[in-house]
Amino acid sequence: MQKYSIFNLVKNAFSNHENWDLAWKDPTPKEEYDVVIIGGGGHGLATAYYLAKEHNITKVAIIEKGWIGGGNVGRNTTIIRSNYMHDENALFSEFGMDLWRKMSQDLNYNVMFSPRGIINLAHSDAQMNAYARRGNSMRLNGIDAVLLNREQVKEIIPMADFSENVRFPIFGGLMQPSAGTARHDAVAWGYARQADSMGVDIIQNCEVTGFDVTAGKINGIRTSRGNIKTKKVGLCVAGSTNILAEKLNMTLPIETHLLQACVSEPVKPILDRVVTFGAGHFYISQSDKGEMVMGGDLDGYNSYAQRGNLPTLQHVLTEGIAMMPFLSKLKMLRTWGGIMDMSMDGSPIIDKTHIDGLYLNCGWCYGGFKATPASGWTFAHTIAQDRVHELNAGFSLNRFSTGYLIDEKGLGTKTWIS
Amino acid sequence: MLHIKCPYCGMRSQNEFSYGGDASVKRPELNKEISDEEWDNFVYNRKSLRGKHLELWQHLSGCRQWIKVERDTATHEIFNTYKADEEISQ
Amino acid sequence: MTQKFRLENGGLINRDKKLSFKFNGKTHYGYEGDTLASALIANGVHLVGRSFKYHRPRGFFGAGVDEPYAIVQLYRNNETEPNIKATEQELFEGLEAKSVNCWPSVNFDIGAINNFLKIFLPAGFYYKTFMWPKSFWYRIYEPFIRKAAGLGVASTKHDKERYEHKYEYCDLLIAGSGPSGLASAYAAAKNGARVILAEDKPRFGGSLLTSDVNIGNQSGEDWANGIIAELKEMPNVVVKNRSQVFGYYDHNMLVMSEKVSDHLPKTKKHHPKQRLWYIRAKEVLISSGSIERPIVFGNNDTPGVMLSSAAKEYLKVYGVLVGKNPLVFTNNDSGYETAIEFKKNGINPIILDTRVNPQSEIIDEAINLGIKIKFSYVVVAAQGYKKVCSADIAKISDNKKQLGTIENIKCDCICVSGFWTPTIHLASQSGNKTKFKEEIDAFVPGTSKQNETTLGAANGIFTLEETLKSSFTAGQDLSKKITNKDNKISFPNVVEKISSQHDKFWCVPLPKGKNYKRFLDFQNDVAVSDIEIALKEGYRSIEHVKRYTTLGMATDQGKTSNLNGLQLVSDIENKVVPAVGHTTFRPPYTPISIGAIVGREVGKHSKPTRKSPMHSWHEKNNAVFVDAGVWLRPRYYKQGNENLFEASKREAKNVRTNVGVCDVTTLGKIDIKGPDAAELLNRVYTNAWLKLPVGKARYGVMLREDGIVMDDGTTTRISENHYHMTTTTAQAANVLSHLEYYLQVVWPELNVNVVSTTEQWAGAAIAGPKSRKLLEKLFPNNDVSNEGLPFMGYTEAELFGVKARIFRISFSGELAYEVNVESDNGQFMWEKIIELGQEFQVQPYGTEALSTLRIEMGHVAGSELDGRTISYDTSLEGLISKKKDFIGKRSLNREAFTSGDRQKIVGVVPLDKKTSIPEGSHLVKDAKAPLPNKKLGHISASCWSVEYDNPFSLAILKDGKNMIGEKLFVMSPLKNKVIPVEIVSSHYVDPKGERVRS
Repeated sequence: MQKYSIFNLVKNAFSNHENWDLAWKDPTPKEEYDVVIIGGGGHGLATAYYLAKEHNITKVAIIEKGWIGGGNVGRNTTIIRSNYMHDENALFSEFGMDLWRKMSQDLNYNVMFSPRGIINLAHSDAQMNAYARRGNSMRLNGIDAVLLNREQVKEIIPMADFSENVRFPIFGGLMQPSAGTARHDAVAWGYARQADSMGVDIIQNCEVTGFDVTAGKINGIRTSRGNIKTKKVGLCVAGSTNILAEKLNMTLPIETHLLQACVSEPVKPILDRVVTFGAGHFYISQSDKGEMVMGGDLDGYNSYAQRGNLPTLQHVLTEGIAMMPFLSKLKMLRTWGGIMDMSMDGSPIIDKTHIDGLYLNCGWCYGGFKATPASGWTFAHTIAQDRVHELNAGFSLNRFSTGYLIDEKGLGTKTWIS
Repeated sequence: MLHIKCPYCGMRSQNEFSYGGDASVKRPELNKEISDEEWDNFVYNRKSLRGKHLELWQHLSGCRQWIKVERDTATHEIFNTYKADEEISQ
Repeated sequence: MTQKFRLENGGLINRDKKLSFKFNGKTHYGYEGDTLASALIANGVHLVGRSFKYHRPRGFFGAGVDEPYAIVQLYRNNETEPNIKATEQELFEGLEAKSVNCWPSVNFDIGAINNFLKIFLPAGFYYKTFMWPKSFWYRIYEPFIRKAAGLGVASTKHDKERYEHKYEYCDLLIAGSGPSGLASAYAAAKNGARVILAEDKPRFGGSLLTSDVNIGNQSGEDWANGIIAELKEMPNVVVKNRSQVFGYYDHNMLVMSEKVSDHLPKTKKHHPKQRLWYIRAKEVLISSGSIERPIVFGNNDTPGVMLSSAAKEYLKVYGVLVGKNPLVFTNNDSGYETAIEFKKNGINPIILDTRVNPQSEIIDEAINLGIKIKFSYVVVAAQGYKKVCSADIAKISDNKKQLGTIENIKCDCICVSGFWTPTIHLASQSGNKTKFKEEIDAFVPGTSKQNETTLGAANGIFTLEETLKSSFTAGQDLSKKITNKDNKISFPNVVEKISSQHDKFWCVPLPKGKNYKRFLDFQNDVAVSDIEIALKEGYRSIEHVKRYTTLGMATDQGKTSNLNGLQLVSDIENKVVPAVGHTTFRPPYTPISIGAIVGREVGKHSKPTRKSPMHSWHEKNNAVFVDAGVWLRPRYYKQGNENLFEASKREAKNVRTNVGVCDVTTLGKIDIKGPDAAELLNRVYTNAWLKLPVGKARYGVMLREDGIVMDDGTTTRISENHYHMTTTTAQAANVLSHLEYYLQVVWPELNVNVVSTTEQWAGAAIAGPKSRKLLEKLFPNNDVSNEGLPFMGYTEAELFGVKARIFRISFSGELAYEVNVESDNGQFMWEKIIELGQEFQVQPYGTEALSTLRIEMGHVAGSELDGRTISYDTSLEGLISKKKDFIGKRSLNREAFTSGDRQKIVGVVPLDKKTSIPEGSHLVKDAKAPLPNKKLGHISASCWSVEYDNPFSLAILKDGKNMIGEKLFVMSPLKNKVIPVEIVSSHYVDPKGERVRS
């Protein structure tokens, strides 16, 4: 594979950039694979990459209904963090942070990981205490966290509302300095390029229509481009999990919901952190292009439509202005929606299933993008070894039956308000 | 913004309502012996259908009645709305 | 200063009103009715900005919303706004604007060095480099790139402008006031339909303002003015200019942004800057017209290259020449209209037509006017850096592949017409699957998804007669369905020139040996070569191409570039355009101010503020408030120089020794009535409720179905079938909905009604050993003795003529009562309590003292009932009835909930009895263990025990039941604290609960 480097960039410039290789090929599906990953999103591509890299399993196909990277990996607000309270989420995400830090070099693709820090604002002492609980938990788990008072927050983000005319004054905040953002598309493409180079077949425009299950074992899948034999299938289709689960006669602790996000027009750098609002649900960062990337609540009812309605965005932006009044004068440029797997405790599922050879990776709620490398890594391990890794042991499917829930927000099963 | 017909009040905008999830889920009767699986199916497991979905909404800033709404989760088209205790012929 | 490019006469501007304005510090003049763009062009300013990536000079390309170039920083009334399109901004006296994205100036921009490096900066170059050394991306490269990007500068000043929202219903919403909008609005209005006609420009009429047509023996413009005048007089019609319908949402909800004051030097008093209209329309007519497509050629981004329709608009609407030596480059008849307009104003244009031998009325007219036309000719490249000075042109072969000898001709502008792209955004947003129409090389709406009908040019109909006819009919038919009226309107006589077929040509091939940049997306600097690279590297879906190259992702959202991009991909991939696909349009059509979307809910009003009826008393008595949800509650009452700690200690101490009074109005209150009320409570709470006597209160805990504690509170039986439930402040609304859900959906057979009475009752908790004495004073006619009103007793009473309820309940753990009166009497009650309590040293206490009191008693609150804990964890398992079923009971037998070492609430005391324990700390066995250090539990609440005068905390601790007496460490790494502690019972004070019964 061609290496991406300044040297190669200059060299290619003098041949009009006509000699670049394909980033990934467009193969036709083979009859049989050792592992089939359904879903060519970030998690599916990462899983295939780590199957090849860590487990030397390269007879792998990624089956993607549309184009790779067209789902949530390309529709998120690019935030990467490990500021979780519960150990299961914290240790898993922190493992992921390490993969993020090395990703550009590992993939030889600049994913622009930018550890600019995330600040969760607090608007009461009670909230400061709740953040302290989280932050202390992070620190005891070896994750960086700093509790900021009002003055310290003001120093870092003076454009937040520190005026008198504010409904919920800022008391302080919890900061994870090593958190940040990355270029979302590059993550999908970078994994795809490396997976492809190691022999993984990336099969696009191929819809899974059914599963071949006999005697509790998976034998293959049926697709719009023919049947494929395999003993191992990894389901990596957050947003469409329930649709495929139906084909397997499985009902999962997941509801499918729409999350909208929007960007403003680009402006010169003004905000160099990721900031979240504490008296509601709003988060913001500024992209390298200068756009303010903003998101918040779900649209609030089951949805598979990648179209949202304005009241939710209005609500989200109201909180945005409450936090940073200067946003008022910016203009909303683009909005989009992503379809979320909302699990019943807000945490994901990476596990084996009652069907031999069928592995489940779903329920990512809002947090799928940041989890991409750790999810791919642990899922690859789970598939390759046919057993869960300790990092994803907590993300079991049966935790809903046993009660070992991982509920970061304590909101319970009303997924649409989480 | 959705436009929902409250069976008691008529057509109202979505912002008067709050969502209440899958209406096809039936709570097991009190004091009835049921399996763990049945209980999990009630508390946690959801089909979350793509397409026609019968769901609960409450006319929160209106008559406060819970109602059933038959809505397409892919297009948001609303086919019909019912009172909470209304029999629905499929 | 003279306006060198302004015609002597003509245009729709008001030449009687001269306006002065500043651009990049230099003063210019224009007229009322100008846009900033038209005024700048009139003054000979053609360089307004720099492009995003290569910082190439940028002029004007269009005359409206499609403008990719002319983006400025606007200064108005001491405020500044970034990224204003000069083509949309109306001129006002004193307007100031500056170029963006250039430093030090638009004329000499350092960033333009990128232009020379451009061969190293193809699409996606940043994915391939800036990776070494590892830490450099975040520290060096990224800050540099961020600085270079970003267009305008955001002001951090608070926005002082006001934005309003308006909700409207109508029969027909018509988006666009061109010929189709006017015709359909007119027909519908005549049928009595309620019509809203929206036009995003200041002037109504759309293409009628610039086209040379005749309707009913009037010019297009006069006809439009006549119709608008008539519509404005009709009571059933709302006509709005400067109003853009930017979003088509579900269930025929459309949103329109009205720019009320942006065209004025400052917003008038009591006026909003902008107004957002939420419009629920029965029918939507999309008459949004079309946008001219560019033809792609070398250096086609040079200032002076612009759409031919824009050149015509500057001439006809603003009386401005975009050049004095124009070249018109066209593949269809539209370019001729522009050329003829130049000619009529004494300018001699040259037309290059890609077509071999087209024939039509308008071509004949151009020939007759003596305009020089070269058929089968193309512009190969524009020459000039900051302004076009000449054009390299060549003959092109009939198959459009070979170029002839290149000739250079002088010109100062190149007006391009590559035919028309219907504006289908609203139809697409509605959910309409658009279809590709071969004849016009563009997408048009397909089958309607909601009640939308697309008319005229937006629907790919480019002749006036057909547009008007179909629009009249649509307006008539759709309104007839709604109003049942059928007023026939006579169709006016239309005179227009019929065009010949356009040439399916959109991109000029590169001449041999030349490497001109041929731009598709002008703002984001995406050239043909970038798309070629993307495809070569396998980014083949249009989504990949767009994301890899950023085609169409700029602030103009690809209005002039999307279709050409699709054409290019389809050519290279050898597919038809519809097979390449196209992006689904999402709102907004153009960028919408966030202030307008948010409206009035800003500052203090971003969320409602709820206040108790005693709020003003608290204010007068130095209360420091705390937000409890949307409620404001007194946190403490400051005396002298006290701080929070001192004041709350004093207040709590006073409750323990004398008597205190606390405003508990915010607690949720639900009135429950009906013969099955007891049965409902019995199902909702974990404990038994069927035998509660009248006049008695009981504490209850309710669960979610997943077994987690949802809320707690007391409920009192007022009379046989009447109960009064209290909830926590935070859960009040949820509990009510919860009860309603079970009553209406799950157990409709229960005959019970529930209603919130939170706002109907004002509540005061009177707590302390002297509380009974105070009560005796307050209610001299009632028996409040321990026998007459025992613990958990209830009575109705009279407080000096005011009806009151007395509940003998206690959160503080002291002898305590809660008195409720109707809200209007709250202040009276409170003042009476304070007045009569003086002899008992009564003091008001706030939430902080309340916390202290409940913590040292081991009473749980929100920080323990955090949505993750079960009854056992919070030592509420004694309230779980074994005999009956209730909500959530079935979940309690799960493995995690019954496991032996389950977490439980405990008390925590520092060994030194001095060091305060920060809330949110964790408990560990070994403070020096390597990370990750195993956490055994967390501190949920801390206080300074006023009883024992030392710190005390509550914690939720793993295996807490068996940990009493253990020594552990509290760790707060955030605060750098390690505190050795002992685990004690959570019931630190009065563990037997004797005081409440005393």
